Amino acid sequence: MGRKEIVIEPLTRIEGHLGIHAVADTEARKYIDAHSFATMFRGIEIILKGREPADAIWITQRICGVCPVPHATASSICVDQLYKVSPPPLGIAIRNFIDIGEELYDPVLGCLILEGPDYSQAIVEKITPSVWSEAQRRTAERRDIHGFSKISDIMEALNPVTGALWLKGVEMQKLGSKIATIFGGKHPHVQAIVPGGAAKTLTTSDLEMFADLLAKHIAFSKELTAVFDDLVEFYIELGYEEVGARESNLISYGVYEDIESYNCNYEDMDEWASKRYVSPGVIRNGELVTTSLTEINIGIREFVTHSYYDDWDKYEEKTDPAGNPIEINHPWNKETRPHPQPPFQWDGKYSWASSVRWCNLMRDRSIDAYEAGPLPRLWVTAKAKLVDEATGKSLKFRLPRTAIVGFKAWEEMELEWKVPEKPNTLERVRARAYFHAYTAYVAYKLLGQALELVKAGKTEVWTRYKKPSEGMGVGLTEAMRGALGHWAIMKDMKIYRYQIITPSAWNASPRDPNGTPGPYESAIMGSPITEETPPDEWNGLDIVRTIRSMDPCLACCVHVYSKNDSKQICKVLI
Amino acid sequence: MSVENIHLIWLQGQGCTGDTVALTHSSHPDLMGVLTGILPEVSGITLDYHPTVMPSWGKDAVEVLERAATGELDPYILILEGAIPDESKAKETGGFWCVVGEKEGKIYTVNHWIDTLAKDAVAVVAAGTCASYGGIPRGNPNPTGAKGLLDYLGRKWRSKLNLPVICAAGCPVSGQNLVEILVHLVLTVRGVLPPPELDEYHRPKFIYGYKVHRICPRAGFFAHGDDSEDFGEPYCMGLLGCKGPIAHCNVPARGFNSGVGGCTTVGAICIGCTEPEFPDHPFSPFLAKAPAGVYVKDTIKELIGHIRAGLHRLKRREI
Repeated sequence: MGRKEIVIEPLTRIEGHLGIHAVADTEARKYIDAHSFATMFRGIEIILKGREPADAIWITQRICGVCPVPHATASSICVDQLYKVSPPPLGIAIRNFIDIGEELYDPVLGCLILEGPDYSQAIVEKITPSVWSEAQRRTAERRDIHGFSKISDIMEALNPVTGALWLKGVEMQKLGSKIATIFGGKHPHVQAIVPGGAAKTLTTSDLEMFADLLAKHIAFSKELTAVFDDLVEFYIELGYEEVGARESNLISYGVYEDIESYNCNYEDMDEWASKRYVSPGVIRNGELVTTSLTEINIGIREFVTHSYYDDWDKYEEKTDPAGNPIEINHPWNKETRPHPQPPFQWDGKYSWASSVRWCNLMRDRSIDAYEAGPLPRLWVTAKAKLVDEATGKSLKFRLPRTAIVGFKAWEEMELEWKVPEKPNTLERVRARAYFHAYTAYVAYKLLGQALELVKAGKTEVWTRYKKPSEGMGVGLTEAMRGALGHWAIMKDMKIYRYQIITPSAWNASPRDPNGTPGPYESAIMGSPITEETPPDEWNGLDIVRTIRSMDPCLACCVHVYSKNDSKQICKVLI
Repeated sequence: MSVENIHLIWLQGQGCTGDTVALTHSSHPDLMGVLTGILPEVSGITLDYHPTVMPSWGKDAVEVLERAATGELDPYILILEGAIPDESKAKETGGFWCVVGEKEGKIYTVNHWIDTLAKDAVAVVAAGTCASYGGIPRGNPNPTGAKGLLDYLGRKWRSKLNLPVICAAGCPVSGQNLVEILVHLVLTVRGVLPPPELDEYHRPKFIYGYKVHRICPRAGFFAHGDDSEDFGEPYCMGLLGCKGPIAHCNVPARGFNSGVGGCTTVGAICIGCTEPEFPDHPFSPFLAKAPAGVYVKDTIKELIGHIRAGLHRLKRREI
């Protein structure tokens, strides 16, 4: 068996510092082993110790400049619980709007700027020429909606800098961020989320501007979902469903609060979280095992066997505020004890990311690696049937008519996202496009509710509070990339312990004490290699497509060369 | 020196990519405009290395940095996002804090690239507060020994064009401010503009020349003694923790994204994210009032100002 090691460091077009070492079987043309490792440490959890709990809302956003708002959201839920303060409905609505602004910007960036170029003509024609010839022959089924006649026209539109979709993506992501800025003051790193509500002087101008920007996103989402339906179906017919496939172990905490239900009581969490527009839940081997956010919380485990940290021995928190037992490996007990060590020690410690796992306490106490992201949360929401739009097998929703010059699809449109057979690279990208549409749909509903509140004179956005001296809190929400949690213990009115588990901690986690690989690793292992070039020219296209499908992160694949030089861009791309 | 092309090398240290995201939200010019070339003076600018936006990956990406190091990409502006850790501390146990690239089994730290590339750069720009002064990673107790470029290279350090480290502070720096600073430097390199005038913390004065409190749209309410006592009210935010009187920034006046937003403008507080001490004292706790001393000074100045402005207006118009 011929083997080839593929090393990718830095892995670009994602947020942050990540490396991959994979081993390819050159005869079977598939990956047989993979290790993913995070290569940067700052120590935010250590920096938070001894500070005011409220300060975490601002400081934790700085963990990620691509998805700061979910950090503010998770932190504010956590601090609401510490301070025992529940925001008024309009305060929750404003928090939702800030979050929504970000969740409209982020998927556009992910689909079109970060992941899209991997399916552009520039890449496809060069690395998989037979796919390019097929795309030139294939008519795009939804051409009436998005305006591209052939699949190859879509691929051309995804070319960085020159492609129509790429350029539209740059513009649309900016408009999403603008929504977060209207309500949050600035974005990235919004200012207006505070314990007990929102620090926002709301005016009619804000809501009108929001309505306009939202309408543009609704209009665009009709095109975006049609584009990715056509692209994904084309590739699946070509047999790409095994690329980046892994078992259906998926987790979602749910997001977008119901403005009348949310409160600061941990004991009520199952109740208010079940009213979220995106549902919490865990899917194990394709089966929905829980929708209780409390059960999800107490089952979370964090291990540092293969990470650059020392284990912790203090076991101080024995139960959650509702009296459920908490284990030592739960984030409420975790201490961050960094211990830098050499790279590439695959049998020892090899990553700054820790191994996050979920323990199925209610059934067999199995501990598994779970994938987080837009695919898991749509999947959970569809299966959980907690929202009217869920059918058990799909999520069906209707987007309003949006008559706006510059957008192709004006008419009202029903969209249906269907639960796929298994998670794979292409379905993750499609789910991202559908999550954008579903967010726009939810935002339209929520805007209506906010206007009702204003009409009824319920314009308070903040609840005054008096800080208790001790407390325990948890904030669980969804970032674009998936499940995000913050846990805090307050003593003497200060942060005694603050722990954060990001979606990338779920997905990028190294192997755990049982040797189970993290989702990035397991999605690469077993993945076929679709590059049509000889093995000595392989550069890991299926790896980067797979990783980017789980980590939409960041910004604009802004190009590098001047316009009349587009040939050169293609050269560098490949 | 040929200035036909100017290369941008953007490194990421201990950062969050927020400055990159902000940069993509600039408007006049927007980033695309800078890269395609809005006018002959602002053209030929190439973003050769940027981990989050560049098309290539892995060893092809590392090669770009190597080409810069051998002088192939002269002249270049080196931009850093994120703080710089103390790698000697990590080395004690055989490890590292922050790696940028790997080649033939050897890893390279961000410090390595700064040491290699700063000396031949025409200008060095710190994008954001982490890169300028250490920012969040430098927050007490500073677990990784992080610092910003101003301390790392030193206040006396000069680039090949004799420019000191330029700090585009802010967490993140607004994209509009950053793009204006970068374009200013391009024009400086090409001899169109003199170097930007800097304040004592190396921030360009045309952006950071005034305190937030002075240019805040709510400053008029302060002058009349109208304070917001609850979040949501439209008045001065001083009682709720605003640090505007001790922070330098233009965002409340010009907005953050295409003219919208502004921290105090929308009803939030300023947390002093453009300042060297951020996120420590006196900027945190964020919801605590700014030190009383500044208000005493401001109040006396404002009283005198009121009287003077009133007197001016009582005078007969001479035109």
